[in-house]
Amino acid sequence: MNPGPCQYYSTQTTRLEQQNATLNALVYLDSNPPASVHTRSLLNDLKLAVKDNICTRSMPTTCSSMMLREFQPPFDATVVKLLRDGGASIIGKTNCDEFGMGSLNVHSVHGPVVNPYIPPFSRGKPFCQEQRSAGGSSGGSAAAVAAHMCDESALGTDTGGSVRLPASYCGIVGFKPSYGLISRWGVVSYADSLDCVGILTRKIRDVMRVFELASVYDPKDPTAARPATRTRAFEACKSYLPQFTSTLTGLRIGVPQEYFPAELQPSALSPIRTVLEALKSRGASIIPVSLPSTPYALSAYYVISSAEASSNLARYDGVEYGLRIDLAPDADKTKTANVYAHTRTRGFGKEVQKRILLGTYALSADAFENYFLQAQRVRKLIRADFDRVFCVPNVLTTASTSAVDGVHVLLHPSAIRTAPPLPNDKDSHQEATPDGLDDYVQDVLNVPASLAAFPWVWRQKDEWPMGVSVVGQWGCDEMVLKVGEIIESLQE
Amino acid sequence: MAEDEGRTKVVGTNRLDKLHGKVDYTPGPANAELLCLLSPARLAQISICSLMEIYVRLVHTIRTLKEDPRWPGWELVVGIEVHAQIKSRAKLFSETFTADLDEPPNSHVSPFDAAFPGTLPRLNSKCVELGVRTAIALNAEVQRRSAFDRKHYFYADLPSGYQITQQYAPIARGGGLKLDRDDVFVRIKQVQLEQDTGKSAFLPRNHLSAIDLNRAGTGLMEIVSEPDMRSPEEAADYVRTLQALLRCVGSSDGHMEQGSLRCDVNVSVNRAGSPPGTRCEIKNLNSVKFMMIAITCEAHRQIELLESGRSVPQETRGFDEDRAETYALRSKEDAPDYRYMPDPNLPPLLLDQEYITKIRNDMPELPDMTRARLLALDLSRRDTDVLMDVDSGREVGFDGELGGGAVAYFDSVARGRDPKAVVNWITHELLGQLAFRRETFKENPISVEQMGNLIDLVQTGTITGTSGKTILRHLLSNHSQDMPSKLAEQLLLIAVRDDGSSLEKWCSEAISALPEEAKIVRTGNVRVVNKIVGRVMKASRGRANAEDVRAMLLKMLQ
Repeated sequence: MNPGPCQYYSTQTTRLEQQNATLNALVYLDSNPPASVHTRSLLNDLKLAVKDNICTRSMPTTCSSMMLREFQPPFDATVVKLLRDGGASIIGKTNCDEFGMGSLNVHSVHGPVVNPYIPPFSRGKPFCQEQRSAGGSSGGSAAAVAAHMCDESALGTDTGGSVRLPASYCGIVGFKPSYGLISRWGVVSYADSLDCVGILTRKIRDVMRVFELASVYDPKDPTAARPATRTRAFEACKSYLPQFTSTLTGLRIGVPQEYFPAELQPSALSPIRTVLEALKSRGASIIPVSLPSTPYALSAYYVISSAEASSNLARYDGVEYGLRIDLAPDADKTKTANVYAHTRTRGFGKEVQKRILLGTYALSADAFENYFLQAQRVRKLIRADFDRVFCVPNVLTTASTSAVDGVHVLLHPSAIRTAPPLPNDKDSHQEATPDGLDDYVQDVLNVPASLAAFPWVWRQKDEWPMGVSVVGQWGCDEMVLKVGEIIESLQE
Repeated sequence: MAEDEGRTKVVGTNRLDKLHGKVDYTPGPANAELLCLLSPARLAQISICSLMEIYVRLVHTIRTLKEDPRWPGWELVVGIEVHAQIKSRAKLFSETFTADLDEPPNSHVSPFDAAFPGTLPRLNSKCVELGVRTAIALNAEVQRRSAFDRKHYFYADLPSGYQITQQYAPIARGGGLKLDRDDVFVRIKQVQLEQDTGKSAFLPRNHLSAIDLNRAGTGLMEIVSEPDMRSPEEAADYVRTLQALLRCVGSSDGHMEQGSLRCDVNVSVNRAGSPPGTRCEIKNLNSVKFMMIAITCEAHRQIELLESGRSVPQETRGFDEDRAETYALRSKEDAPDYRYMPDPNLPPLLLDQEYITKIRNDMPELPDMTRARLLALDLSRRDTDVLMDVDSGREVGFDGELGGGAVAYFDSVARGRDPKAVVNWITHELLGQLAFRRETFKENPISVEQMGNLIDLVQTGTITGTSGKTILRHLLSNHSQDMPSKLAEQLLLIAVRDDGSSLEKWCSEAISALPEEAKIVRTGNVRVVNKIVGRVMKASRGRANAEDVRAMLLKMLQ
């Protein structure tokens, strides 16, 4: 039943195939990517891997779901088109959790992704290395970048941490831009109000190259930030960022106390301590701040994302495209829903089914007020929390005033732990995690900024990697990347 | 129109206010008290127009029960939800062109219409404009902020599994429609924009459902009335008046037979003087005639239940046209939970006052005003009715494009001319000839300039009325682009103006040709002169004026 790690081998790409056979990062390899004709373009000859929930005209887009196993979209996502036009070539599609739902990249019809990171203590001893999760849901993208399978960059998507968490686990840079900056046209919806296209690279300057080309207003995305809003945000960001010379005097870095929860592994503290000390020694001010609504964020996130998922995934009924399971001859065909149920039961994995049911319940007449509306209220509070601590005003809210002594960015651990081991039995990937909430807890530090939709960057340290996150005001992507570069340079 | 720029992230939270507000709008059953509640100062601020409206509503609310011989002692209460397809070139959220009924199935379908993964909606501003136009025509309050919601259910002709509609924050609220008869005023509760579905047809022979997505995603306006109608006839009058209004503002062509206007009707009955009864909704009525039959038999059914001591269960019913009866579709308990959710892809629709004012200023004239204006030109009621009837049958253009109707034609021709003469030529001669040729006004080949020129020729006596009609027929048969003045010359129809010498000649010839008749006239039987007049008219090929001929003949035969 389970397919091989990569169904679509190419004869040209032996090295990739060999790597992929171990990692299972790529689920489709373009056997002869078109030679770039853009000789002087920004992304000249960049070989890019794209998460399998971003539509590509020339390759399948399966979303790691049985439902879309054979699906090939009739169009390219806007972000794919922009990068192709900029000179990049797409080498293939990366593994992910089904429709982006998961934190460990184990809920995939293609099987789990193996974390390619080799910690210093086991280098040179490949056979004793334990298999760890690459994180999810953009685990394939993170693994491909970390293992140098694509040049520098891969596209992922981030709804509740799906770029940032795998970046932390694999020890690379994961960038979730502000919501609405990169077009979602052609990105298969999981939860529309949270979904973002993210960029995974090994160096922050590579993020910048891709982001510059991809962050363009697209009239086909009704949630895209308008050019005027982008300009306002850009100017606000520029006017608040201090001019750094040799010191970081004037840079105010907030450390949110709620981001050190009980679940945090003690060892996860050392990277952020190191970074904070280094920043302080170069003149930055470290300021403790409070985001009091944080504890409610995870529940609110799962209510909202599941509700939207239950709505967005209603379209997979086996009629227009995708998998279709015919009914047994004696089946009750009187109701359309009965007919669809066959296809949907077979086509969706357990995790997706679970979230559809959760979301359907949250939207039902009895639960709507207590779950969906309550979660929206929490979302508003979280957003207000962030607006209160940043010095840059939020250009999206007309009434927003910034804190006089507010911080430029926030810094906190990217995950509560390093990459967890993969379950031994690869074949039972659908049941790989227990039914408990362990899986969801991985997102606890990433979700709040998703609900508020802010940019994010990762830095690594330690034996198994462990990220440090930089969070900024909406539209302050440049500021976050700049601080990220500073942190990157501290390590070198 | 402005969309909520850049506020996309808070869409959900901002909508909360509105979601909470779902109870804060209570459509005004308390209108009767409205006048009493208004202070004199407030009253002074209210324009005469709105006072009139309040008055009309007041009249309605305290409307006395009119005994209906079909159900003596009972009162019938009807409210109607009309779904009118927006006559826009493209669909509501995609750039696909809307389809005509005769086009091949699934020939107007984009990836978005078929709910392909990765596609996103994009609001068609033309649909918004037509929705606002309709709201203004209904005197409704256009909402500066409205929002789109998803209504979920699984059906084969709904590819995405949800319909985008405006459940919580519709584009317009309030307003009403005055019916022609009996001064009935029907209040409007709200107007909302939403998507139409595709069509599915079951093919029993091979046990398959055929799905056509041509219609999927076409814009609809759902226009919800208050339960202000009291008879099947009033319901019919409401739908017809609304139809004419939609056609007039160009927002829908309102063809019930073709499905571009569909009605769901809420019916309840109560004993005279008692509070309203439990209502049943009859779904998907697609002709005014069937709607009246459905309401009538539903009233009888409910009265029968109540009179036998049973109660009317609240339910949704269908209508069987062949058996002329309604049947239960589902009870209140079986009502599906549509799991409404604010659409996370569509920012709230924000309309600024300037935009609304511009549409208001560019509004086409509404039927009531047109009627009043035409009557003020001293046209007869009959001529006015004929013009407006023909006008309401005109083709409705896409995206609110106006013009081309009989009234516009009349207005253009009448500019600088005698309106009564013009309306005579249009309603009697032009429409008469078109009807004779079994053509509609749409097929009229005579331009405004040609018609004006023709009327001028007759009015100035350059040609006779008879010649005018000849030229009219010539224009209709030959689709000639020539001006009537040129045709009059070509066809030798210029009225003779040679001091009567030609006339005298034709008359003498006619008298010689008809000696018997001449003799009878000479003896004093004047009526027979008409035959000789006819001979002269024929000889002159209409160039002679019949009155002059008659006078000349009588003089010669004295």
